[in-house]
Amino acid sequence: MALLEMNGVRKRFGGVLALDDASLSAAGGEVHALLGPNGSGKSTLNKTLTGVVVPDRASITIDGSPVAIHGPRDAHAHGVAAVYQQLSVVDDLTVTQNVVLGLEPTRRLGLLDRRAARTVAAEVLTRFSPAFAGSVPYDAAVGALSPGEQQIVEICKALARRPRILVLDEATASLHKEQVHVLFEVVRELRDSGVLVVFTSHRMDEVFALCDQATVLRNGRTVGTIALADATEDQLVHMMVGDVERREEARRSHASDRTVLQVRGLTTQRLRDVSFSVAQGEVLGLGGLQGQGQSDLLLAMFGAAKIHAGEVLYDGVPLPLTSPVKAARAGVALVPGDRGRQGMFAVRPIQENLSIASMHRRATARLALSQRAERRAARGIVERLNIVIGGLADRISTLSGGNQQKVVIGKWLLNEPRVVLLDDPTKGIDITAKEEVYAIIRELADSGAAVVFNSSDNRELLEMSDRVLVLFEGGVVDELTDAQVTEEDLVASALRLEAGETL
Amino acid sequence: MNPAPPGTREPAPATLAHWWGRLRDIQVSGTATVAMLVVVIAVNVALQPNFFDQYALTSNFATFVPLVAIAVGQTIVVLSGGIDLSLGAQVTLASVVTVQLTDGELGNLPLALTAGLGVGVACGLFNGLVVVVARLQPIVATFATSFVFSGLALVVLPRPGGTMPSEFTSGYRDSVLGVPVALLAILAIAAGWLLLRRHRVTRHIYAVGGNAEAAFASLVPVARTRITAYVIAGMFASVSAFAILANTGAGDPFIGNELTLTSVAAVVIGGTALRGGRGGAIGSILGAIILALVSNIVFFADVPSTYRQLANGLVVILALALAGIPALQKRRSA
Repeated sequence: MALLEMNGVRKRFGGVLALDDASLSAAGGEVHALLGPNGSGKSTLNKTLTGVVVPDRASITIDGSPVAIHGPRDAHAHGVAAVYQQLSVVDDLTVTQNVVLGLEPTRRLGLLDRRAARTVAAEVLTRFSPAFAGSVPYDAAVGALSPGEQQIVEICKALARRPRILVLDEATASLHKEQVHVLFEVVRELRDSGVLVVFTSHRMDEVFALCDQATVLRNGRTVGTIALADATEDQLVHMMVGDVERREEARRSHASDRTVLQVRGLTTQRLRDVSFSVAQGEVLGLGGLQGQGQSDLLLAMFGAAKIHAGEVLYDGVPLPLTSPVKAARAGVALVPGDRGRQGMFAVRPIQENLSIASMHRRATARLALSQRAERRAARGIVERLNIVIGGLADRISTLSGGNQQKVVIGKWLLNEPRVVLLDDPTKGIDITAKEEVYAIIRELADSGAAVVFNSSDNRELLEMSDRVLVLFEGGVVDELTDAQVTEEDLVASALRLEAGETL
Repeated sequence: MNPAPPGTREPAPATLAHWWGRLRDIQVSGTATVAMLVVVIAVNVALQPNFFDQYALTSNFATFVPLVAIAVGQTIVVLSGGIDLSLGAQVTLASVVTVQLTDGELGNLPLALTAGLGVGVACGLFNGLVVVVARLQPIVATFATSFVFSGLALVVLPRPGGTMPSEFTSGYRDSVLGVPVALLAILAIAAGWLLLRRHRVTRHIYAVGGNAEAAFASLVPVARTRITAYVIAGMFASVSAFAILANTGAGDPFIGNELTLTSVAAVVIGGTALRGGRGGAIGSILGAIILALVSNIVFFADVPSTYRQLANGLVVILALALAGIPALQKRRSA
């Protein structure tokens, strides 16, 4: 009998339907993978189970009896513990304090029992001592540990709760091989003792090595569950992508042969030795699973990340990437992924939002602004991009997402950029607006700009790009140039399922 | 020091929010705090040769206690990720309620002190609810409630007056085996903090102030913990009120208001980051003593009374700046 049954799970975040009738059924004593492409709802489904996200609708039964999970404490009461992609450790507390956090053993009057806390922590942490180079730093502040060690603490915190259902959501992302090895041993022991482990990882080799069953999500719906022992990679990819017709219209490339932009060995905290080049008028797509360094690459090229090594050249001349202001003056534009926080001033007028990046161009003696010139410039962009607004003095927050995004792009057009970086520019906007954004991107490329375009939507990525670079854990692992590349190829490449690879 | 996650790096540099963020990050090292204490004591001794006489010590410590108590309360709120700008007003309200109920009679004292403590608890609970339930920014919410509390204080005692029994005031200036009672009070406050630090609720206060989301996911009752921090701070405000009454012997509806910002300064000088989750109250106690000694210095340096406040302010700024230097250097090398 299934230990866990989740049915009809539905969750809407603003205008985005993250989960629409998702389900998951899994038995105790198995490791169950949760798979799906970008934005399929894996993390949301996990968080529904752990109480961090409260669904709009869901029926969840554990051990055959229906349960209501309104918060992490409810989840804990039903024996659910989780390890999140985004760590939930407190940097200033010690390793021991973090492991027992929320469930501190106490003596009379709520005074902390340090010895008992240490015992609880030692029970779970001793197993992982190889991962700490031999000795567990019980009394070190977690913030002082390496990312992998912090991840181990997070895992131990979940284990210390003695769960019946353990959710591992990208728990291996920052672990070394040896650390993963220890974790897998522990997971197998838990499985053998009857615990259900729900496992999400972007590393498919880990999924095949560890999991018994896999449930595949696509667009917030459950596609099906499959036993991994008899599944092939092709089957899995097909489940994730679905039946899609091959694209009929080939990309109309206006890329010239003249390479203008060269990225050489770019390395930051999140990027490993990234090199590529873009021709004038070319649209280069960035693909792969989300969060594999695409946004970090765009930020680095905009001077907004500390560059450890490498450089970016335009026409053979290095771009000044020490600050966004310098990058922008050198003709680089970034349409950031987080529109609300990084792309616009929500409560300021549309006029100001359009002027802000290019005011210096119109200022007399670099100081005085003419209202008339500012308005004329803004109006020009509004007409050119067909932005639907009430008046230029309205707050930008009164616009629809699509029109907001056009304002964000428009402010850079006034700066006449030579390099345009777009980070998931169509996220959360409707279909018509998407088409208009596509048209703007094409126009930018046609006018000679070098465009680098990240998208979490594989289909639009293939439609828009002349070439697609696939990123994985901060490095470029593949380049898809064939005009007949399919979505399946892209997903397979993103998951690093190469022909002949042994799993 | 935890590195900022890459990718979330703020591209905009010199905004107000940015500087507030930096200010909140400043954490004074324990060495800096102790060094400042040594310097301040040395200057004090130079200006006031009888500094270590029994009488001078007693009267000095008697003036330290109110600020020490309120600084410990402020530390607890700051550790939880908040700030309480109404603590001074709470001191005022608790003191006027206590002095009115005592009415000069020793027999009324137990009831009056209990009521005074109740005032602190009630004010803290009110602050906590406003911050947590109404989800207002602590700095704004407690600034607003400070007017409520001072307004109430004026209703209870419209002008300075009322008396405390002489046993209460003289006992405060007494000494036990040569140790001034006021110093014992400071040690008791420190002991109270050390006990509190071993309590589960304080661990949760550190966790919530350090990373509220992580604390929530780790089953820490975040809302309750935040409210508790304000309540404990309110209790320390009451203790501060009692010390003021013992020191002056009479009620004053404006007495505590200056203490608020001094308590924040004491917290910072004592090495607790305004960001929350990092630091402790022992440093704040030293910080409070440093600030009290600074006003002593200004007094004994024969600064004309019209310039006293100005001089005081400048010295506090200097102390904060000096205290911040090691933190800034650490940041630069990171």
